[in-house]
Amino acid sequence: MVRQVVVEFRDVGKVYRMGWRRRGVRALGRVNWSIHAGEVVGLLGPNRAGKTTLLKVLLSLCRPTEGRVLRLGRPGTDRRTLARVGFVHENQALPRYLSPQALLEYYGALTLVPYEDVKRRVPRLLERVGLSDRAREPIAGFSRGMTQRLALAQALINDPELLVLDEPAQGLDVEGRRILHELIHDLRRRGRTVLLVSHILDEVESLCDRIGMLVAGRLVYAGSLTTLVQPSSAESRQPLERAFDRLIAQLPNGDVTARARVLSPV
Amino acid sequence: MDLPGILFVVRWLVRDTFRQALAARTFWLMLSVSALCIVFCLSVHIENGESLRPPGEIELFGGDKQPLTGPNPNPGHMTLGFGLARLALFRDAEAEVHLLQALLGLWAAGTVGMLIVLVWTAGFLPAFLDPASATVLLAKPVPRWLLLAGKCVGVVAFVGFQEVVFFGGTWFALGVRTGVWSRAYLLCIPLLMLHFATIYSFSVLLAVCTRSSVACIFGSIAFWFVCFGMNYGHHAIAALPYLDPNVAPFSTRTTAMANAGYWLLPKPGDQLILLDEALHGDADFDVLPPVFRIFRAKGNFQPRLSCMSSLLFAVLLLGLSAGQLRKTDY
Repeated sequence: MVRQVVVEFRDVGKVYRMGWRRRGVRALGRVNWSIHAGEVVGLLGPNRAGKTTLLKVLLSLCRPTEGRVLRLGRPGTDRRTLARVGFVHENQALPRYLSPQALLEYYGALTLVPYEDVKRRVPRLLERVGLSDRAREPIAGFSRGMTQRLALAQALINDPELLVLDEPAQGLDVEGRRILHELIHDLRRRGRTVLLVSHILDEVESLCDRIGMLVAGRLVYAGSLTTLVQPSSAESRQPLERAFDRLIAQLPNGDVTARARVLSPV
Repeated sequence: MDLPGILFVVRWLVRDTFRQALAARTFWLMLSVSALCIVFCLSVHIENGESLRPPGEIELFGGDKQPLTGPNPNPGHMTLGFGLARLALFRDAEAEVHLLQALLGLWAAGTVGMLIVLVWTAGFLPAFLDPASATVLLAKPVPRWLLLAGKCVGVVAFVGFQEVVFFGGTWFALGVRTGVWSRAYLLCIPLLMLHFATIYSFSVLLAVCTRSSVACIFGSIAFWFVCFGMNYGHHAIAALPYLDPNVAPFSTRTTAMANAGYWLLPKPGDQLILLDEALHGDADFDVLPPVFRIFRAKGNFQPRLSCMSSLLFAVLLLGLSAGQLRKTDY
């Protein structure tokens, strides 16, 4: 059965213009990648590899300088598809003056979810992330972990077909991570698509069907996790961390040189 | 997006702005200032302030029912601060209340209040557009221009609400204490909202370009002074020959530049003339600078064109801000 392509990057490149002289710094170099419906896909890579930029291009937060993005079968410029997408940002600051309930209602409205649906979903979501007893308290008094749980809840307010998670486990305690994993498993069961960026390799290994690996703005691996951790039948299975190191070592002149090349001025 | 969808989003953004103002204490701060002014108006009391101008008359009549030719021989008194200060009325209760309203509308709210409000609301948009908080909002299906416009409407609505409290409260307090119910005073609300919106549009552009509250505060205040200076200069060029006949005429170039600047920028000075006209154009007192009075008296003032050009400036700046936000990478 051919599964629907939910996300497609076609030759996507991004050059940021920095400083007064508008010096060009390349963050992404011609990425080609597809994600299908119902998949949980991990996006890995060292710091400054371009993972967040790739997500931002996907979510129309920044425009690609080359190539194009298809989101839920439509061009990335079509913002209407964003109503079917959920997003958790790595350094998300939620309005501290709102309560969780008010925040979910507000974000639900901006996601164009009918108010009746939002009202119905809010108590369920708050219970799901373990915040139902603090639904009316201001977020200002929340810990980092609680804020992150709320960030997860807001991403689910529209019951998204595609959930994009950028370092969602940051600041979460053991219970918070259990909730996160359960949510992802549940979305997979319901045929939803998840794109997960994480530095926690165990998490990626336990949750994802496929991974993509970005190094210095280039997609150096895209495929199944099994192929990566057990490259041939002759070799024994190795932890993802070792497979990750092996991939980087295979790059010409190693990661550092490659990164320097791609992040250098254009 | 269709119109109901746009209105739905704007409603939520307006609501969020009020919550933001409540949390930042701006709401209560502005309300406290209004409350102080309302208490001041409640402290006003007038003794023997019978009207010297009977209904339908142009002339003033004294207590002896004869036309008044000199100063009122038996002036009434106005007490302020619940009797702390006692002043002789320059005419009658109505004129005295009109003077108080002119001072409150033109100078307390129209000038000092406007500058304070510009400072207090300058942080709203930079906080909203900060990457840490805006990234998730900008990944929603609502277009960026609508997010910006909705937030601006929210700030203007918030200022409008505070103006309703201020003008409504002071009008009611003065009415209750003096029996003078001048409805023209309430025209200050839409006029000052329009004035705030035109100056605030510059703050919006700064917020989109810099995302800095400090830049917005200093930028919008400096902009207000530049606009007032340009407005004053333009009117001064027209009024100075009447104020001082010996003054040398201005060069054509200077006049052309003053004209261009005047018609291009918002006009805080014209706003004062408009407020003065709306309040008491026929009053026996002057709260406007002489340059503005002469400019108006010579028939040079074009209120409609002045308002329209200020509004056009605000619309252009908001369009520019929306365009800038659309191409900003988050």
